Amino acid sequence: MAQLSLRGVRKNFKNVEVLQGIDLDIRDRELIVFVGPSGCGKSTLLRLIAGLDPMTAGEFVLNGKSMQGVAPSKRDIAMVFQSYALYPHMNVYDNMAFGARLMGLSKAEVQARIDEAAGMLQLEPLLDRKPRELSGGQRQRVAIGRALARKPSVFLLDEPLSNLDAALRSDVRLEIAKLHRKIGATMIYVTHDQVEAMTLADRIVVMRGGLIEQVGTPRELYETPANAFVGTFIGSPRMSLLETTRDGPHFGIEGSGSIALPGAPETGQKVTLGLRPDAMHLGLADAPDGFDAEFEYAEYLGNEAYLYARLGDGTRVSLKGDTASCAHQPGDTVRICPDPAQLHYFDTETGRSFRSA
Amino acid sequence: MDAPDTTEAPTQKSRLPRLRMSGRGMWITFLLVPPLAVMALFVIYPIVSALAYAFYDWQGLRRGEFVGFANFSKVLFDEPFATTTWNAFKNNVFVFFALMIIQNGLGFILAYALWRDLPGARFHRIAVFLPVVLSTVIIGYVWKLFFHPIFGAVNQLLRSVGLDVFAGPWLGDPDTALNALIFVNAWAWVGFPTLVFLAGLQRIPSEILDAARMETDSELLLIRKIIWPLIAPSATVCFILLFIGSFNWFELPYIMVGLDGSPFGTTDVLGLYFYRTAFGNQSAGIQDFGMGSALAVLMFLFIAVVATVWTIYLRRREIEV
Repeated sequence: MAQLSLRGVRKNFKNVEVLQGIDLDIRDRELIVFVGPSGCGKSTLLRLIAGLDPMTAGEFVLNGKSMQGVAPSKRDIAMVFQSYALYPHMNVYDNMAFGARLMGLSKAEVQARIDEAAGMLQLEPLLDRKPRELSGGQRQRVAIGRALARKPSVFLLDEPLSNLDAALRSDVRLEIAKLHRKIGATMIYVTHDQVEAMTLADRIVVMRGGLIEQVGTPRELYETPANAFVGTFIGSPRMSLLETTRDGPHFGIEGSGSIALPGAPETGQKVTLGLRPDAMHLGLADAPDGFDAEFEYAEYLGNEAYLYARLGDGTRVSLKGDTASCAHQPGDTVRICPDPAQLHYFDTETGRSFRSA
Repeated sequence: MDAPDTTEAPTQKSRLPRLRMSGRGMWITFLLVPPLAVMALFVIYPIVSALAYAFYDWQGLRRGEFVGFANFSKVLFDEPFATTTWNAFKNNVFVFFALMIIQNGLGFILAYALWRDLPGARFHRIAVFLPVVLSTVIIGYVWKLFFHPIFGAVNQLLRSVGLDVFAGPWLGDPDTALNALIFVNAWAWVGFPTLVFLAGLQRIPSEILDAARMETDSELLLIRKIIWPLIAPSATVCFILLFIGSFNWFELPYIMVGLDGSPFGTTDVLGLYFYRTAFGNQSAGIQDFGMGSALAVLMFLFIAVVATVWTIYLRRREIEV
C-alpha cells in the first residue's frame, strides 16, 4: 500500500526556484513517470520524495503520514540511482543485504529476500562479485535488486537506463515493466526520454520549468495534450506547430495560403495548429484546404517515409508519407493537407489547448 | 618489446623503425642517466657507505679495522648504550601511537567537518593547513617560548583563568616534556592528514552517499561502513607517512629540548641518539661513526621493513571507487 500526495511543493536552491508549486497524487501500485527536458525539476522532485533534500515549502504525505522531518531511511522508500551507486567495497550480496540488515531482519530473512531478488533479476551467479567486476547492465540489475531486497512500498528510479547502451536499454525497460507487474509496488520513474515514458507509464507527469504541465495516461497525453509543449514533447517525430491567423473558419499562414476548418472550436484570432506527422498528407498541387510548402528532404524507412517541408513563414513541418513521395526533389512546391479530425488547436499566446480549455 | 607496426613490414624496411627505436633509446638514456647519476651519488652512495661505516672501528675521523657486527651488538646489547637505544625506541613508539590518535584522528575529524561544509569551513580549511607550511625551526622556537615556565603564554593563560595548579615547567618536567612535544607536532602537522582525508572524502561519489542515506540515518554507521572503507587510500598515506615521520623524528625535539632528550632522556628518540653518537656533543662523552652508522642502519631497516609490510597490508584493503 502506498499513496503519495504532494501539496504545494516548492524547492529553492539559493535564489533559483527549481520547483514552483507541485500538486500531485500518486495512487497505490501505480507506475508513474516524471518526464521533461533537462532542468525541469523532475530529479529534484524525486529527491524531495526520497527525503535526500529538504523541501522549501509544501507538504508530502505518504499513506496519510506527513513526511516532514522523516529521515530517508525511515520512509519505506528505496531508490535506484542513475549511476547505480553500488558500494564499491562490497560484493553483490552485501550490496543487497546492507539495507535489509539495517532494517533489523534476521539472517535467514535477509538471506530469503536476497534469494528472491537475485532470482527475479538473475543475479545468482554474480553474488560474490564486486561491482567493478560487473557490466553496466549487471550493475543496473544489482541496483534494482538492492532496492527490491528492502521490500519498500515505493520505488524511485532516477533515469535508471541512461547509462546503458541502446540495445540493453529496451531489454531493461521491459524487465522493469515486468517487475512492476510482478511486485505491484508503487514506482516513480524519472526520465527525459519520452519513449521510455510512453512505454512504461500508467500515468505520465510532464514537467517544464519547475511546474507540472500535464498529468495523464500515455494515450491521454498523446491524444489530448493540454498545451503545445506537451503536444511536441510526446510523440516522435514531434508534432509540427503551425502559427495561423484565423478569419472565421479560415486559418491562414503567410505565404502558404489558408484552409477552411468548419468544425474548429471557438478560438481567438491567433491560433497554433498542432499536427502530428500522420495528421497530414501531401495532396495534389491544386488540392483544396492545403498549405503550400517547399519540399526539403525525405527520410526513407522502407515501409513508409518521413517528409520534411518548409511553409511560407519558415516553419518546418514533418509528415508521414508513402515511399513514393520520396520522389520529390528539394525545392519542389508541395501541398500539405491537414486532417481536420486529428488537429489540435492551441492558443498562440499561452500555448494552451482550446479543446481541453 | 617490439615496435608493433614492424611485424608485417618487409625485411628491408623493418630496419628503419628499429633505427628509430635506437634513436628513441638514446634519447631515453640521455634523459635517464643524469638523474640516476645524481641519485647514485647523493642517495645510494651515502646509504651504502653508512652501511659500510657500521662495520668498521672508528677513531675520530679515521677508519680503523673491520669489526663485523660489533657496532650493532654494542648499541643493541652493551651497556650503557643498550638502555639508551631501547629508551629512545620506546619513546619513538609512544610518539607514533600518540600521533596516530591525536594527529591522524583529529585530522580525520577535521576533514569530516570541513567536508560537511559546516559554517566557516572555507576559513578553517586554510587555518588548519597554515602551520604545515611554517618551518619546523620557527614552530619549535615559538612553542619553546610558549612553554617557558615563567614568561610562557601557556602558563600565563592558565594562571589568568585560575588554573595555577596546572601551570608547570612543561618542557622541564619528565612527566610532561614528551607529551608537550607530541602536542606541538600534532598542532603543526594536523593540517596534513586533514588535507589528505578531505581529498579522499571529496572523491566519494555523492550518489553512493545518497544511496547509503536511503538505507540508514546513523552517521556513525555511515562513516564506519561506507565512508571509512572508501577513503582507505587516504588512510594508507596518512598512516605510513606518520609512521616514517615518527621514527625519523628529529628537528622538533632537537630545537625544543636539545640533543640529550632532556629531562633525563624522557624525550630522547632514535634520531637524537643517532646524532649524538655519530657526531658527539659535550654530554654524550662519545663520538663514534661506527656506532652511529649502526644505529642509522638499524633505523633504516626497521622503518623500511615495517613500512613496506604495512603498506602492502593497507593497499590490499583499498578498493577502487
